[in-house]
Amino acid sequence: MKKTTLRILAAATALPLLMTGVSFAEDIDYGKFDGYTLRVKLIGGAQYEPLYAEIENWEKMTGAKVDVLSRKNHFELDREIKQDIAAGTLDWCVGSNHTSFAPQYGSIYIDLNGVIAPETLAEFQELALANSTVDGRLVQLPRHSDISNLYYKKSLYEDQANKDKFKEKHGYDLAPPETWVQFKDQAIFFANAPEFYGTQYVGKDEAITGRFYEMLVAEGGSLFDEDWNPTFNSEAGVRAVQWFKDLYDAKAVPAGVLNYLWDDTGLGFASGTVALNLDWAGWASFFNDPANSKVAGDIGLVRAPVGSGGKRSGWSGSHTFSITDTCDNKEAAASFVSFLTSHERQMIEARKGLLPTRGKVWDEAIAEFAAADNDFMVEVFETYSQSMAEDAFTPPLIAPWIEVSNELWPRLQAAILGEMTPQEALDQAAESAREVMEDAGYL
Amino acid sequence: MSRINKSIPFWRREQFTPFLLLMPAILILLLVVLLPLLFSLYTSFTGYRLIRPDSLYNWVGFRNYERIFTNANFWYAFGRTVLFLTIALNLEFLFGLGIALLINKITWGQRTLRTIMMFPMMFSPILVGYQFKFIFNDNIGILNNALQALGLSDGAIPWLVDKQLAMFSIIFAEVWMSTSIFAILLLAGLFAMPRDPLEAAKVDGCNPWQVFRHITLPFLMPFAFIAMTIRSLDVARAYDIVDVMTGGGPAGRTELLWTLIARVGYDNSRMGQANAMAYVSILLSIAFTYYFFRKLIAARRYMGGAD
Repeated sequence: MKKTTLRILAAATALPLLMTGVSFAEDIDYGKFDGYTLRVKLIGGAQYEPLYAEIENWEKMTGAKVDVLSRKNHFELDREIKQDIAAGTLDWCVGSNHTSFAPQYGSIYIDLNGVIAPETLAEFQELALANSTVDGRLVQLPRHSDISNLYYKKSLYEDQANKDKFKEKHGYDLAPPETWVQFKDQAIFFANAPEFYGTQYVGKDEAITGRFYEMLVAEGGSLFDEDWNPTFNSEAGVRAVQWFKDLYDAKAVPAGVLNYLWDDTGLGFASGTVALNLDWAGWASFFNDPANSKVAGDIGLVRAPVGSGGKRSGWSGSHTFSITDTCDNKEAAASFVSFLTSHERQMIEARKGLLPTRGKVWDEAIAEFAAADNDFMVEVFETYSQSMAEDAFTPPLIAPWIEVSNELWPRLQAAILGEMTPQEALDQAAESAREVMEDAGYL
Repeated sequence: MSRINKSIPFWRREQFTPFLLLMPAILILLLVVLLPLLFSLYTSFTGYRLIRPDSLYNWVGFRNYERIFTNANFWYAFGRTVLFLTIALNLEFLFGLGIALLINKITWGQRTLRTIMMFPMMFSPILVGYQFKFIFNDNIGILNNALQALGLSDGAIPWLVDKQLAMFSIIFAEVWMSTSIFAILLLAGLFAMPRDPLEAAKVDGCNPWQVFRHITLPFLMPFAFIAMTIRSLDVARAYDIVDVMTGGGPAGRTELLWTLIARVGYDNSRMGQANAMAYVSILLSIAFTYYFFRKLIAARRYMGGAD
């Protein structure tokens, strides 16, 4: 008995050592920074943490220490960074960043061209690097990407009674939606509030602005014309807002949806009370894990629907790392961000469903899932790979984006709640957005 | 009348002594209160943006203030804050008074109850916000589930979305957290109350309502007004609970001054404009404080306690 316990203990102790050995076996030389302490501010949250467990390996390889000054969600981190800029306390080196947020920070982050080796940069997807570039400067190194596709509860679509009833009502066969109109039809069809909902959407902050934006594009509209005049109060814009409003009025989404953010929609789908869920790949393994999710084993996935403009929605962006201009050891900082975005580290995130920004990691991750007979994750990666290649587009990479978003989303909410018509709401938002763009010197 | 001796330097003269003794306090106040206030007042006349430190010198005159006066959202938020303040303060006063009167009657276990009563105040407003966000959640919230289980409702009531219910929910959270401030101050008033007038009233044949209305309540009013002054300043700054529960939304239905100011100042980085908003909203706090102080003096005069 005692011997067995000892053996287990010995094995348990050896395992991390072996694993460390594997990490050390990397070919890449991350340099030596003995005694140096690298100060960093990172985005926090369940899906971001597994990568941070790797930080101690970088510390072992380089002899440096990492002092994590903050680990917050991106909205809070954004406020903190703005305060640092105002107070002149940018006394840290590496910060988490995002393609949508980066343009507003001006020149606090350095251009990584020339700091990160060209052969390393060449391993990243071109589009991911292009989206990380602001005014010709590569101000961030992409960590993982984000785009949404449509998860659905498979059993609902296999049920013969559902198929018959749907065909009778709508005159076409029940199959996972290909267009936004079908998405709406089916969401309303499946809804039975308050026990079961057709779908749900994120209802506030930049989240709903982003959803509106991608639908606007899919409907054939645009946020701005080429001279930066707001043009989202178009017919396409009204159609996009009407989609949200119709679902809300039909009680196909929970009544509190305008207070929902990403966690609410993800957890809602996992609770088994929602038929369709447009979401990022970061949830995939969670959704299919019986310990967390009631829909595990019953999930289908299709690409995001097509709008009446003939285009698929594909609002996209990347979580990234940046290095401050005030950093006292840019070499160590560059080593750190290279390490966190390396092939091995991206594989760790890919296994959780986060979309890599290195081309090779995609292939290797799919091969690994296939070898483990994890058909669901193979399907997830193949679907997302296609949408990243064909559908992805970012919001305008301009400094006033968040400010324009803050003018838009309360008006979208007002239209959904029926306080004003979609046209009135968009006209008002366009007028305010024009003022923002004028102040920022775009008009 | 003090004699003025010309040989003594002015700062050693008797009438200057109080000022001299107060000087350290005055200096510290100037440094930590007045200076930042002046600085933020200055920035309200600039186009200061948090992410562009050089914009601190971009003087725009009254432009920020002009924008505020034509900004309907700001005035809606202003009006909503006044409404929020009025309802929350009155409810807190009524509940606080009730609790204080009840606890005052207890002869056994009063200390324990007083401590328990303080519990809501010990939580951080952010925690209180999350607690009520969960309680009022339309889908998984305790309240809707309880109502459905008891058969009192068959739908999901959108507590944090509906126009009236959303305001009700944040007022409920605010009142839950802070009623004990009123209760504790009014209880202190009850403890300090002399017994003679009460006994004299009883001898004169007053019924309990008359005793409460004409003796207890007037005696407690100065305490109530002190509590109201403190709380009005607190509630006018309400931010944490509202931000967590509704974020000022949806569609600005629960937008109060400080959720709006924080969004303009931090998310939009327009600190100059946010400071201008803050200065206009300070008028609200000054108005309430002035009103309550006048009431306080009147109440004390009524009791023969102040000039």
